[in-house]
Amino acid sequence: MATVEDRVKVVTGRILGVDPGEIRPEHSFTFDLGAESVQSIELVAAFEVEFGIEMDEDEALAVETVGSAVEFIAKVCREQGVEVEE
Amino acid sequence: MTDPTPQTAANCGKKPIPVPVVKAHPLVDAEEPNLLTGTFPHDLPPLVRFCGKAVEFIDGEPVEFDFAAVKDRPIYVTDTTFRDGQQSRPPYTLDQMVHIYDLMSRLSGPQGVVRQTEFFLYTKNDRETLDRCRALGHTYPECTGWIRAVKGDFRLVREAGLRETGMLTSSSDYHIFQKLKFNSRRECMESYCEVVDAAFEAGVRPRCHFEDITRADIEGFVLPFAERLVRMSEQVPEELSAKVRLCDTMGFGLPFPGAELPRSIPKLIWKLNREVGIPSDRLEWHGHNDFHKVNVNGTTAWLYGCDFVNTTLFGFGERTGNPPMEGAIFDYIALKGGLCGIDTTVITELADYMRSIGLPIPDNYPFAGRAFNTTRAGIHAGGLRQDERIYNIFDTEALLNRPPRVAITDKSGADGVAHWVNEFFGLKGTERISKIKVHRLARWVVDQYDVEGRLTAISDQELEAKTRDLLPEYWEKHAAPGGSKS
Repeated sequence: MATVEDRVKVVTGRILGVDPGEIRPEHSFTFDLGAESVQSIELVAAFEVEFGIEMDEDEALAVETVGSAVEFIAKVCREQGVEVEE
Repeated sequence: MTDPTPQTAANCGKKPIPVPVVKAHPLVDAEEPNLLTGTFPHDLPPLVRFCGKAVEFIDGEPVEFDFAAVKDRPIYVTDTTFRDGQQSRPPYTLDQMVHIYDLMSRLSGPQGVVRQTEFFLYTKNDRETLDRCRALGHTYPECTGWIRAVKGDFRLVREAGLRETGMLTSSSDYHIFQKLKFNSRRECMESYCEVVDAAFEAGVRPRCHFEDITRADIEGFVLPFAERLVRMSEQVPEELSAKVRLCDTMGFGLPFPGAELPRSIPKLIWKLNREVGIPSDRLEWHGHNDFHKVNVNGTTAWLYGCDFVNTTLFGFGERTGNPPMEGAIFDYIALKGGLCGIDTTVITELADYMRSIGLPIPDNYPFAGRAFNTTRAGIHAGGLRQDERIYNIFDTEALLNRPPRVAITDKSGADGVAHWVNEFFGLKGTERISKIKVHRLARWVVDQYDVEGRLTAISDQELEAKTRDLLPEYWEKHAAPGGSKS
């Protein structure tokens, strides 16, 4: 099973139209990867579908980097009893 | 012909206007907002508050008017939706008129703020409508009639069993000579007075409609005729004494002090009220909107001494229309400082009903248009969520069953889209859908502008259709039969 980080990069690449292999944990969704307002919403929605979780809207949208997203999603998966490869 | 002397700067007022004195205005710093809730209570429309008396110069003398007294005066709204209102559109059906009358009575409330309405009496359909409305048993609005100033027409009023009827007593020379072809003002006045006598004899109170009064010779005809009506009324029981409706037939009336007769509403009312002695409860204002002054002119009439302002629902009326009843209602509440038993939510029911029978109400029309409290430019849902009062004129949901809306454009963002969806479904509190869940609709909106090159706002109808397509799970839950919006 792919890790949370791998899956986050694949989803991010698909939504933002970038090569997942080029995405680094320290990349900012907005400044480095070019996420516009509606794409931020789409990213959160796509992560929810990918991992089968529900995220708090405000907390999820406060996440700025790919690495922070990996940590946040892993935490939510644990809280909601969803098994993932960390 | 008497040529009314124009009031010039030389004879219009005696006291010079004081020269403004420049003074300092230091900042009053604050860490808590002063939202001026005494004037803007939000659960009511903004209140009209006065801080002193108004002065109008009449015949060169200053006359004071205490507008604040209107709070305790028995002022009322009257209606002519079925008379003047019908002159601007195809006729209502009988059932439509009965339904509108029923709703109007609910709007009026137990205190009868909408006091009277008037009906044509000429056809079988007119009379049946009147009978059906009266059969509803409502005290208010009282049903009155409207006839030509023709003696024979009182038979219609008598047969209908009405206490009061309006009758045309046109007052300008445009009407007296050019339209009615009288040979002299005296001949005209005698003719009118014969009909008033006929009303008295029939036991019917005449309401004399001084047609085109704002273009009439006030000193030469209006006041002498009004004096004659007062003398005649002294000979009959009080309940029959003649009323006067000041008809601003062409919308020429002016509300501000300093304007000269015959266009000055303050002077017209004061002269009839104080010089001629017609009490306020026998004076009624009837306006037209040809110069966009129709609502403020009506309210001005209240302030200067008319107890009644004649209106139509949504201002429908001859040409540009009459004072809109809903506008008068909100001014009434603002002047009185309370709802006075008025059920303002009926305005929305009436608007919906009018639209359903094919009467267009512009989207931006105050209080009733589909977009009257919809915010667009530079506004987004985040602001409305923080404090609705920032962009809503009053609590439109409580007073009109119309929560504030956000129009969707490229500036709306996902916040705006989520706000629209939640308002559309009528969702509250924890039921409200987050912007994450409406991302497909938000994407469609963005693409309309970024991809399709759209330059217009997105209509409610388009959004409704797209909501059905792109958010089917929520549509099924909230809009389908059995859902919260069904």
